[in-house]
Amino acid sequence: MSRFLFPRWIDSLVPVLAIAGAVVPLYAVFIVAYGFSPKSLEKGYQPIQPVPFSHARHAGELGLDCRYCHSTVERSWFAAVPSTQVCMNCHTQIRKGSPLLAPVKSSYESGMPIEWIKVHKLPDYAYFDHSAHVNRGVSCVECHGRVDQMAVVTRVKPLSMGWCLECHRDPIDRLRPVSKITTLSWDQNTQMTREEREGIARLYHITPSENCSTCHR
Amino acid sequence: MPRLIVYSLSILALLALVPPMVLARNRGEASATTGVHIIFDMDLQTKFKTQAVNPLFADGRSMRQPVAGTVARGDERLDTHYYNGVVAGQWATTLPAQATMSLKLLERGQARFNIYCSACHGYAGAGDGMVNQRALALVSNAQGPVDGTVWVTAKSLHDATVTVQPIGQLFNTITYGIRNMAGYGTQIPVEDRWAIAAYVKALQRSQDAAVQDVPPQMRAGLGL
Repeated sequence: MSRFLFPRWIDSLVPVLAIAGAVVPLYAVFIVAYGFSPKSLEKGYQPIQPVPFSHARHAGELGLDCRYCHSTVERSWFAAVPSTQVCMNCHTQIRKGSPLLAPVKSSYESGMPIEWIKVHKLPDYAYFDHSAHVNRGVSCVECHGRVDQMAVVTRVKPLSMGWCLECHRDPIDRLRPVSKITTLSWDQNTQMTREEREGIARLYHITPSENCSTCHR
Repeated sequence: MPRLIVYSLSILALLALVPPMVLARNRGEASATTGVHIIFDMDLQTKFKTQAVNPLFADGRSMRQPVAGTVARGDERLDTHYYNGVVAGQWATTLPAQATMSLKLLERGQARFNIYCSACHGYAGAGDGMVNQRALALVSNAQGPVDGTVWVTAKSLHDATVTVQPIGQLFNTITYGIRNMAGYGTQIPVEDRWAIAAYVKALQRSQDAAVQDVPPQMRAGLGL
């Protein structure tokens, strides 16, 4: 019975295995940290909505204030998606025969809501209050981007916990007067000095919480 | 080392570069598919938030409508002055008791007017808002009105038929609409509708002002 002997070249595998042993776990960590981050998974979400509503047309070109449709944003944690009635304030007359508006028309007639797809969905274990932010100088644009330039709404920020905390740790550069809150083209970092923004922080008593239970309640 | 092993290890190392490159290429790119939820049942819990879908109900709404023919306690709205702008069958000529005239009220009214009313009526109330302009452009298209658009020019709030209206009638129009204008009762809370009505009155005064309305000491500065 002949004994099995490893061939000599096996020895040259040892450094290869050593390198692989060091690189493979690092590689796995990198793939998880980079690939599973909300910057990879969530940012860029651009669902196809039941009606091709263009924010660029309505909020940008026509200059409708965000609050014309999202009228609960200053009073509620939730910036409500408008009822079909709000669409029909204008569209009982404007482009009323357009086939693109057919789902709006049938929703208006049947009373069944249009099933818009939520783009900026937070995980259910995180609480965010719109009214607390827009009434104290944090503009829509800080989280939603230039929606007034979007024909199709896209999630441009990761809305991850680390990203929320960036601002909760240093809010000064994201603050503006409440009167400019829905003026998405206005930029507090070019229009105001840092001292002025610090003044806004004092005016609105901005002391953002970093407690777990602020958002995970 | 046999060639086969060298080659396979090299190919494996090269293939390992593909996932990071794909990730880097697609990171944050627009995509119509939802992000993967790794801890699925924590991200999407079995609870219903505002305006969410609930498959248990035939209409799919998690937010329930009030039962037909019922009125919630405290929501009787019997105060016709406050909720309808009507006092003893006539349009109210004063603000209701719940609102007091102040600069704060007018500034609130101005901010709300600019959000909800200026779209058609314009910031100065002349009936030249952006939606009005666009609708007129769609109607006067050379090939005929686009997609069946019909439009009656938004009323100037400085028209004699509007300036004579009591504040209660303005409030009622904002709440329930008139002719082609939809009611804004569901979009604007009642106290804000009174603020807007008060602001419209102020706007009418300002746009139809005479020299005598300007305090004498201010006239020189305006070149009057």
